[in-house]
Amino acid sequence: MAFSIPAQYKDLTPAPKLDRATLNRMAWRSVFLQASFNYERMQAAGWLYAILPGLLKIHKNKDDLAASMAHNLEFFNTHPFLVTFVMGIVLSLEQNKADIATIRAVRVSAMGPLGGIGDALFWFTLVPITAGITSNMALTGNIAAPFLFLLIFNVAQFAIRYWLMHWSYRLGTDAIGILTANARQFTRAASILGVFVVGALTSLYGGTTVNVQIPNGTTFEATPITTVVSADELDRYEPLLYELDENGDVVRNAEGEPQLADGASIRPLESGDFLITYNEYDEVPVTIDIQEILNGIIPKLIPLTLTLLLYFLFVKRNWTPLQAIGFLLLLGLVGSGFGLWPSIW
Amino acid sequence: MNLEITVLQIILVFIVTFIAAIDQFSFLESLYQPIVMGPVIGAILGDVTTGLVVGGTYQLMTIGNMPVGGAQPPNPVIGGIMAAILAITLGLTPTVAVATAIPFSLLGQYAVTLLFTAMSPVMSYADRAAEEANPGKIVAVNYFAMAVLGLLFGVIVTLFFVGGATFGNRVVSAIPTWLMSGLSAAGGMMRFVGFAILLKVMVSREMWGFYFMGFALANVLAGIPELASSALLLLALIGFAFAFWDFQQQTALQAAAVSMGGDDDGI
Repeated sequence: MAFSIPAQYKDLTPAPKLDRATLNRMAWRSVFLQASFNYERMQAAGWLYAILPGLLKIHKNKDDLAASMAHNLEFFNTHPFLVTFVMGIVLSLEQNKADIATIRAVRVSAMGPLGGIGDALFWFTLVPITAGITSNMALTGNIAAPFLFLLIFNVAQFAIRYWLMHWSYRLGTDAIGILTANARQFTRAASILGVFVVGALTSLYGGTTVNVQIPNGTTFEATPITTVVSADELDRYEPLLYELDENGDVVRNAEGEPQLADGASIRPLESGDFLITYNEYDEVPVTIDIQEILNGIIPKLIPLTLTLLLYFLFVKRNWTPLQAIGFLLLLGLVGSGFGLWPSIW
Repeated sequence: MNLEITVLQIILVFIVTFIAAIDQFSFLESLYQPIVMGPVIGAILGDVTTGLVVGGTYQLMTIGNMPVGGAQPPNPVIGGIMAAILAITLGLTPTVAVATAIPFSLLGQYAVTLLFTAMSPVMSYADRAAEEANPGKIVAVNYFAMAVLGLLFGVIVTLFFVGGATFGNRVVSAIPTWLMSGLSAAGGMMRFVGFAILLKVMVSREMWGFYFMGFALANVLAGIPELASSALLLLALIGFAFAFWDFQQQTALQAAAVSMGGDDDGI
């Protein structure tokens, strides 16, 4: 990234408050949050698209608009139906020309927890209930089912989108006085929460694992076998039932009794037969699971290592995001082996 | 029964798929659900009731298989649409049609993985647009991505609609698994680029401890099955406690420095 984002906007006079129409327009645009979803920044470009009407009203200085657009294109991922909450707060900070570090820290801290709330609210509650009820209607051929589903889902969705937008913008504007009085401390605190959340995301969103099994010889696995034998047949089972010494003779204890092998037992039955149990040993291959070993060191070691490696490459080697993506693509394909050697993913 | 397919039906199926493909991530995020797509496809092919029943059957299967936390389940858009098409054109029973459509839904998942990977480098173009303060290009990036998604899905479904089920299975099995597993592994790693960039701009030396604390606590919470879904919220509360406490300490320190007469000898 040749362009370096400044610490502050050039024009620090707070812009006029955003009007209802602009807020509503942005709430509508928020439905396209995931339009350009990608694995690198996730919803970043959709997020910028959604808040553009507000940014254009706030930043009349072209350099400030560039700075604002650039930092709002950083990694962003939150719940698509609750995003307007983050939008309202961030726009109130933008409007008051808060430090860019502050805005960024608030954005990152706010986006994380909403994911969990939104999933619980929509995907685990609203959709299963409405879809469950209406699916059963559909199975009986009731044509009202899809309409009912769309109605309930979208009324809930848009009510939440518009209400959160206005509420959180008001909340942010009201709190701005407290924030600007202690701006440096606030930025520090928000950055702590932001960095903490990024650490949590590294673990919770990091799904990269390796699937490498290294063969490591074989072992004997005992399988208990239980069977009923007659008294005559019992002799034949002796080698399996009793402990044997090196010469293959049955080991006897001090009283001269034969010693039973591990897991073996003999029970006389009323019929005169015997119920015997003995272990049969099978040779089974042993493998070392690399991921299991890594998990034993620390779970999610690979996501942590990759994040820190990329951080190192960005800071010390001045890599661009594009180089990093190319590197990961190569890593993914080499790991999958081009069909020439076994895939490790 | 094997129905004759008209050109109009092909065009309508393409348009409906185009819209549904976009809707699965953007817009109403509900039009794409099989319970809606079933009867719509049914209407196009002249059998609303079958479409409705197939849609309901597929919908019940996908409940509890939602796109939670960025994970990609087998794609319900192509699955739902193909199930309705197969049920009506081939006269399959709803449950058989749903099962037959599963391989197709896998192809939708591949298409999504491919697009999400391919869109990652496009973000560099968006970065340049931001540096020029050019909102038009940001809008264009978003519309472009939606159009590509719609086209990909539209073409896949139309091909299968015209080509039939055996053709579909041949296509799915022709894609080498190493390519898809390599791409999806790379796709899963791309988010670390985003994390690393955030760290680059946010972390100062005294903050690293909080990064590792967030990581470690997330591991702890993720290991408790009952807390896995609320982990991020709980972590945010813990993180908030640290941040709020730090804020109070820092403001108190500053106030003390000021009241002791002189802010340039502050601690």
